Amino acid sequence: MSLAQDFSRGIMKENPVFKQALGMCPFLAVTTSVENALGMGAAATFVLVFSNFLVSLFRKVIPAKVRIPSYIVIIATFVTLVDLLMNAYLPALHSSLGIFIPLIVVNCIILGRAEGFANKNKVLPSIVDGIGMGLGFTLAMVIMATFRELLGNGSWLGFNLLGEAYQNQPLLIAILAPGAFILMAFILGFFNIMEKRKRGGAK
Amino acid sequence: MAENRVFDIAVSPHVGSSQNTRRIMWDVVIALTPALIAAFWFFGPRAIMLVAASVGAAVLTEWLCLKFMKRPVNFAFDGSAVVTGLLLAYNVPAGVPWWLPVVGSAFAIAVAKQAFGGLGHNIVNPALLGRAFLVASFPVLMTAGWIAPMQWKDGERIDVQACGVPTAHLMESGELDALSGATPLNALKQTFSWEGEPERSEEVRAMLFSKESIKNLFMGRIGGCIGETSVIMLFLGAIYLILRGVLELRLPLSYLGSVALFGWLFGGQGWFDGNPLFHLLAGGVILGGFFMVTDMVTTPVTKKGRIIFGIGAGLLTMVIRRWGGYPEGCSYSILLMNLGTPLIDRYTKPLSFGEVKKNG
Repeated sequence: MSLAQDFSRGIMKENPVFKQALGMCPFLAVTTSVENALGMGAAATFVLVFSNFLVSLFRKVIPAKVRIPSYIVIIATFVTLVDLLMNAYLPALHSSLGIFIPLIVVNCIILGRAEGFANKNKVLPSIVDGIGMGLGFTLAMVIMATFRELLGNGSWLGFNLLGEAYQNQPLLIAILAPGAFILMAFILGFFNIMEKRKRGGAK
Repeated sequence: MAENRVFDIAVSPHVGSSQNTRRIMWDVVIALTPALIAAFWFFGPRAIMLVAASVGAAVLTEWLCLKFMKRPVNFAFDGSAVVTGLLLAYNVPAGVPWWLPVVGSAFAIAVAKQAFGGLGHNIVNPALLGRAFLVASFPVLMTAGWIAPMQWKDGERIDVQACGVPTAHLMESGELDALSGATPLNALKQTFSWEGEPERSEEVRAMLFSKESIKNLFMGRIGGCIGETSVIMLFLGAIYLILRGVLELRLPLSYLGSVALFGWLFGGQGWFDGNPLFHLLAGGVILGGFFMVTDMVTTPVTKKGRIIFGIGAGLLTMVIRRWGGYPEGCSYSILLMNLGTPLIDRYTKPLSFGEVKKNG
């Protein structure tokens, strides 16, 4: 498999959120604004790339029986790095993402790629895979956050799009938890329909 | 017609029934009409406009969804969308802008009903989910849009007594600076929070539970949602449904009985202190009890299950009224019990003929 395929696979064909249904917790929780989604996506991508890199590098050294604890130690190291860096340089974003930064440790996308890809592949493809999956995750978060911020606050990335009148009476539920579940159902349903059409066309 | 041929091959004897979805739904629409007249009388033409907007949006959304899913669009006119639209409008305050029931109806039909597969497949009552959606999205409009009854006729002059709530008392104490007409349940909820002033809260509760207040509740001369206030008109509709054989009485009776029992038990400040009649007549209990608890799709089919459903919904209603965050718990209690319906049905399934009871 070529590097280009390793890269593009994570964005659409095997998108971690839309196709593998991984990373649902941050996907539902921090997509209240596009800014949060971008921040979360960048943090997760950073951790994903470096954990893939290290896991792939040590894949022949780590004994199979203790591989999961080893992955967690590697991932936790980078999460701690991100946590401290963000707290130092982006305190506003850090406080709005809150507990979800430390929770990247248990993000199943990162562990899934360590176990499912980096563990079996060379260093360079693993890094590229990390970038692709990270971008796919970020893309999914931004799509979701676009709907939620637009409906729930009338804005996109902080820019007021729908006007003052809408912002006085926005569809508040979109940035609350129930709205996240409802929108997720519609977005996943949309991708399932697209998938079905594509398969039907191929036959 | 071709599909129906399948059912023609059974062995006799057959029992015919004139009941079908269309007939039942239009019966419910007729039964809801008296409450609409009361809404016009108390809240003015505005209420009619809101109801019309809601019903129109519900039918239009149903039609669009069916069109989009390539199903027969005739289903949009079987009356079920009209009932949903009516019930949703009956559940919003009369003072809200026109687009609010439109948004609620569209959500109720598109998400709560059609996204789950249409009539018969929805897991919760669409109108109530529409209302819950509106409360979550527009909390200010949905909890402050109360209009004092008869205000549209009397202009600015407001008959304090007519509101059924001790507004005069509240005005004196500086609690209110304008009268938008608090609902009786709002007033009751407030008394629960006056921990330090037992006398004051006792006095207000005595007013709420007084004969005068009960009479206003019965006639509907109170602030409240468009279709829920006039108990007598809702009763008229319920009697019509009973005569037409559409209403099965286990659900409404167990629900109303449970509200009265628990209302008496903990509907006041202490135990055994509540007024069961007040709790039955105030808020949406009568509307919910006869028109929403009885929804055929989202309530149990077994006889025992229906009684469990009614009692559970009544208990939840009273728990929310007494200790919950909202003054009225009718809609949420029914929604919660809707979710439990499959479970109730499962555990109350009667034995088939010849089946032996397990561990019996």
